[in-house]
Amino acid sequence: MGSDAIVWFLSLIVFLPALGAAALVFFPRDREDAIKLFSLAITIAVFVLTILLIIPTGGDGASIRFAPHEANMQLAFVRSWIPSFDIYYAMGLDGISFPLLLLTSSLSVLAMWASWGITKQIKAYCMLFLVLETGMLGIFLALDFFLFYVFWEVMLLPMYFLIGVWGGPRREYAAIKFFLYTLLGGVLMLIALLMLYFNSDLTQLSRDQLAMSMVPEKTIVAVEAEGQKPPELRQPIHTFNLLALATLGRETGVFDREILLGRSIQWWAFLLLFIGFVIKVPSVPVHTWLPDAHVEAPTPISMILAGILLKMGGYGILRICYPICPDGGFDLRWVVCVVGAVSMVYGAFAALAQKDFKRLVAYSSVSHMGYVVLGLGVWSATQGNLFNPEYWQLGVNGAMFQMIAHGISSAGMFFMVGVIYDRVHHRNLNEFGGLFAKMPVYSGLATIIFFAGLGLPGLCGFIGEVLVVLSVWNFSYALAVVAASVVILTAGYILWTLQRVYLGPEYKGPHADALKPMTAREIGIAVPLVVFAILFGVYPQAVFNYMAPTVDQTIEQLAEWTRDVKTPRLQQEQSSEESDVEKTASRLFKNTPAELDRASHRAAPVVDVRQPRSLQRHGAAPLVETTLRPIKAGAASPDI
Amino acid sequence: MEQVDQLASLVPLLLGGAWLLPLASFTLIFLFGPKMGRHGRLAAYVATGAILGSFVLSITSFTMWLAQHGVTGAPTHASHDAESQQAAAEKSRAFLLEPSTFDPAANHFTSVAYRTDDHHEEAGDDADHLQNDHHGHGTGTSDHGHAAHQAPEKVVYTGSWYPLYRSKTLLIDIGYYIDILTVSIFCMVTLIASCIHFYSIGYMHEELTDELVDNECKLPDGTSLRRRGRFHRFFQYLSLFCFSMLGLVIAGNVAMVFVFWELVGICSYLLIGFYRERHSASTAANKAFIVNRVGDFGMIIGLMALWGSLGTFAFGDVDGRPGVFTLVTQAPGGIPNGMVRLAAYDQIEAGVQPTDEQLAIWREQHLGYGLLIVAGLGIFCGCVGKSAQFPLHVWLPDAMEGPTPVSALIHAATMVAAGVYLVGRFYPVFSPEVLLVIAYIGAITLFLAATIAIAATDIKRVLAYSTVSQLGYMMLALGVGGWLAGLFHLVTHAFFKALLFLCSGSVIHACHTNEMPLMGGLRKKMPWTAYTMLVGCLAISGAGIPFVIGFSGYYSKDAIIAQVLSFSRANPAHAPLYWVAAGGAAITAFYMFRLWFMTFAGKPRDTHIYEHAHESPKVMYVPLVILAIFATGVAWRVPGTNLSLANLIEDGRPVTSMTDGVFWSSLRIPNEHLSHSDVGIHTTATLVAFGTALSGFLLALLFYGTRTLNAEEVQQQFPRIHRFLINRWYIDDLYWAIFVRPTHFIAQRVAAFDRQRIDWFIDSTARWVRGLSRLDDLIDRYVVDGFVNLLATWTYGIGLSLRRVQTGRLRQYVMFIAVGTVALFVLASFLWSYAMAGS
Repeated sequence: MGSDAIVWFLSLIVFLPALGAAALVFFPRDREDAIKLFSLAITIAVFVLTILLIIPTGGDGASIRFAPHEANMQLAFVRSWIPSFDIYYAMGLDGISFPLLLLTSSLSVLAMWASWGITKQIKAYCMLFLVLETGMLGIFLALDFFLFYVFWEVMLLPMYFLIGVWGGPRREYAAIKFFLYTLLGGVLMLIALLMLYFNSDLTQLSRDQLAMSMVPEKTIVAVEAEGQKPPELRQPIHTFNLLALATLGRETGVFDREILLGRSIQWWAFLLLFIGFVIKVPSVPVHTWLPDAHVEAPTPISMILAGILLKMGGYGILRICYPICPDGGFDLRWVVCVVGAVSMVYGAFAALAQKDFKRLVAYSSVSHMGYVVLGLGVWSATQGNLFNPEYWQLGVNGAMFQMIAHGISSAGMFFMVGVIYDRVHHRNLNEFGGLFAKMPVYSGLATIIFFAGLGLPGLCGFIGEVLVVLSVWNFSYALAVVAASVVILTAGYILWTLQRVYLGPEYKGPHADALKPMTAREIGIAVPLVVFAILFGVYPQAVFNYMAPTVDQTIEQLAEWTRDVKTPRLQQEQSSEESDVEKTASRLFKNTPAELDRASHRAAPVVDVRQPRSLQRHGAAPLVETTLRPIKAGAASPDI
Repeated sequence: MEQVDQLASLVPLLLGGAWLLPLASFTLIFLFGPKMGRHGRLAAYVATGAILGSFVLSITSFTMWLAQHGVTGAPTHASHDAESQQAAAEKSRAFLLEPSTFDPAANHFTSVAYRTDDHHEEAGDDADHLQNDHHGHGTGTSDHGHAAHQAPEKVVYTGSWYPLYRSKTLLIDIGYYIDILTVSIFCMVTLIASCIHFYSIGYMHEELTDELVDNECKLPDGTSLRRRGRFHRFFQYLSLFCFSMLGLVIAGNVAMVFVFWELVGICSYLLIGFYRERHSASTAANKAFIVNRVGDFGMIIGLMALWGSLGTFAFGDVDGRPGVFTLVTQAPGGIPNGMVRLAAYDQIEAGVQPTDEQLAIWREQHLGYGLLIVAGLGIFCGCVGKSAQFPLHVWLPDAMEGPTPVSALIHAATMVAAGVYLVGRFYPVFSPEVLLVIAYIGAITLFLAATIAIAATDIKRVLAYSTVSQLGYMMLALGVGGWLAGLFHLVTHAFFKALLFLCSGSVIHACHTNEMPLMGGLRKKMPWTAYTMLVGCLAISGAGIPFVIGFSGYYSKDAIIAQVLSFSRANPAHAPLYWVAAGGAAITAFYMFRLWFMTFAGKPRDTHIYEHAHESPKVMYVPLVILAIFATGVAWRVPGTNLSLANLIEDGRPVTSMTDGVFWSSLRIPNEHLSHSDVGIHTTATLVAFGTALSGFLLALLFYGTRTLNAEEVQQQFPRIHRFLINRWYIDDLYWAIFVRPTHFIAQRVAAFDRQRIDWFIDSTARWVRGLSRLDDLIDRYVVDGFVNLLATWTYGIGLSLRRVQTGRLRQYVMFIAVGTVALFVLASFLWSYAMAGS
């Protein structure tokens, strides 16, 4: 599936940095400028390739272009990779991954340019950097869970070395901490991945669904052949395909089997994946690798870490956790939201107490990424609002926007810290002051970037934060109030920082004479970040045009699932529990009319026990189990 | 109708232009400021030109508006007769069921003519009594009891410029909501801002230098700070402020209000902290922004309550989508369906279908009314922060650290009035309970700030507390149902308070000190300043000849006191509000004339300062004169026409639907027209306002003018009260103790928890793992390797011992072979037999 041109194009985007890294082998070690320029050229080339995707071409249908206002997967392809384990080389883009892909390719250019200050072992640095870029790009493009996992691990090792070799004084500690945390997440992901793989069964899906999920024709034929066999001879056909897994999770009951402590496969898979991703986000209480990693990492690596790596957590939650394990997501929605809200508050408080500039920015990341987790989790499409998913869509769109915005503002903030650190070689917040007088351009740009972090309207941080916060009200009043209160703390720590660093009569720390104005290169890195911070703040539709259709569709599917599958199931559980209670009660007491009345009132609505949708279409008998589906309630969309 | 449509597209265009001009100026100065002439002098002309352009555009649209719609000054409500009520109910029902009845062709022109009042039955006779009897205000008197359909319709233009977020039914956008109030406030803001821009050119001229000595900022070595001037930055921020303020006024929805709300906040931050080298200035800037954010926290909650239940932020109806006002005023009981449904969430979750009948039942149970109150209180929280109301008033006096033109423009005339403006704009959504809260907050603020102003000696702080106090008046007025009175006072106050601040700036410019005890007798040195300031003092005190004519403050303060009196008659339990309002008028007159006498009258108290004092340049005092003219006569009616400020504002009166409390059923919000039409109330209020102001003036005259009474003696007699007032009721200290320090403490604990608990856990886990691996290493080395080594040692030993056997002697080998063979044979046979025996 997918034309060869697309295969080559996307593969080129992903593997060009790796090829560049391989080519660097042939550069002499002492040609440092050439190495840097070559690496920069590679990152720029990747950036240009990704930008080509949005440039409108003259109506040429065959051209490779990512269309806005389109919800489905675009530019997708599937190629065989390890067929004996149903592993495919599958990639594609949709509104969720595409903005993050652009963020990655653009921030990589800026971070590479910011690496000019690196002096130690340039060649190795650039090679690792480029390999890292391949890993990051691959994660956002992969449509096969196994491929995703491979890229996830590919990204891990270069990062470890980049922190561990080029970092600050405690770099080994920070690097190993980062490595172990992320590896733990990876292991949990691997367990979930295998759980899902071995319980997946493509024979449960109809032909249409298989085709929609980009299952190759060969497999579809195999699935149909399986369908012809008598039921007792049928073998499940497993898959790593993320789209097919999502369809299975939503439309069938293959992941509903109880495995441990009365919880289903879905529930456990969601939990494992969520922990794995939330380590990356990172959220309280698995966040402590972040401050250490940031403090020790060199500036460009901090930019990458905050700007892109953290986004993989949020991306994974939205791409993998919710679509594949909706049942787990529904049951654990409070866990997700509370983790998000706690991170927001906790990160903000911790930031307020920091004395190290970089540590402060790192904790602000924890706080800001808390918005992302909270926004993703506000499962407010329930019966109470007649399964209207719009507020959840708002939250998820806000969360996704917040990821982009945070990618810009946090990368900018780390860069700004790096600029001053390069000059005075310390980060003690109490030993700055008066920088406005010495470095006016720098201070002005930094102020704008910090204001973006503050969530000032007109800058990118505002949109994401406000959309997330607005979405929470219909999920929980209490969490909404907690989320809203963070605006005070954020203002507190950012303004206090600005006051200590940029304002005041004079600089109080060492190396005062080193405070030279920004160089042209530094301005060249900072200005694009500032420009995009303003652009996205003033015209957020620039992002939403690409992002919102996919997000809306994803959430709408989950809302439908809530209406058609989850709610009847909950009602059945409730009524069976209650009938147990009634039985016990009737044994103990005589039934009073009032009790009977109550019982009849609470009885669940009519539940239609039918085959799953897919099976009806497929014309096959149910294989695993039947799913309970209600007669479609006449749930009109509420008039607002 | 043709003409109307033209205006509908033209007015938003003009006001939009007026709004964006300062943004263009900001952008220009931001990019090219330092290159604009020597020391950025041209920046002032860019900014001033932009705001003048805005003023011209605003006046143009104002004139066009008048030409098109005229001024009626008559209440826009429909009456309460049964007929129109039924019509309204029908219309609202039709509307609620079928939003598509809105005509998409008439997007930009919405007339609001109907008023529903479903409390009619519950309200009973009292309400009837209060409401049946209303007449037009001003000259446009007509009998509305039977002329519902001829009643002038409120003209509103609404529209959307572009969306920030859009989904199927939800929309957050940048749009506009323009009525006569918007246009008037535009004119007011741009006029005052223009004056202040001109004034600033003179006031900020010190900044036009490469090396400015800032005597208020000492370096650690005791010398004064020397820095480059920042003339252009000042005008850059002023332009950004004007843009934000106008955006706030034109905003078509409350989310956009919030956006510009924050932006004026950041402008205020930048301008308070303009002298950023001074620690006091940057701290005051932080304080202003953070305290405002506390208010915004509440505002966000209000926004969420609205958004979560109604799914819209728009004030008016845009493109066929009903706005908040329509939803609230046309819903029975003022509770929109969305709020009822959200409040009944549990029951819907339990399976009850939210049909129309069910909604009606829920509405009977007042479900959703709580949400309406949360929304109202939340929005009001934001206003409390921005308008410096108790308990968030603490930032405004500190904000005086900024340059004086900033204090005049932002912290007296416009930004702080934004809170009052929003309360006025959002009036239909405030339920009577919320209005009561607003009234009490306003009353507390007005009293508290007025008392502090009595004791303050810093000339700008007196004015700052006076501002807080006057804003309290406005809130009080709005809270007791005086929509017109509150907004009327907003406009008049903007003029005279800007005037007062600029005069004080002129004084500071001349004396280089803020302390009034060091001044005195300045009227001889700076007559323009002294007498324009006297006009300001008279205006703020509400001076006038009762029932004949007066300064602008006379009319607006009268309106407020009349409405408070009307309210306290309708609700005798809340009579203290009236006492505070009346007493406040006396205190206002007292502290304002105290200020004037201390500064301009008597003998100079510091001859050095007096010697150096001088009148300000023309560019500074001409704006004073302009403002003084407006402070005097802005409330006057243009002879021979209907045109007066009160009538203009009256034309913008929103349609409200709630007059009686639900949770507090005895609460009645009296109709404002009653306070004008009821001669008893009107006369009493006028006389009371006059009497109290006069007594305050006389007291100030005795203390500070003629020095018949000695202020120091009074201070010494009541040292505790004096200390209490000097320390601003200890509110700042209290906040420091109960909010700031605990926050820092929690922050420290959280950071420590991170390091000491979480990281300790992680690190000790790592240590355990390392310990385990060391143990494993030991086992490996001593047990596993030990065993292997042992084996090896044995093998080696055996080998060694066997070496002795290897002698090289052939005979010995043969013997070994023989013995070995025999031994093997014996062994084999033995085993064989054993095996056989076993089987």
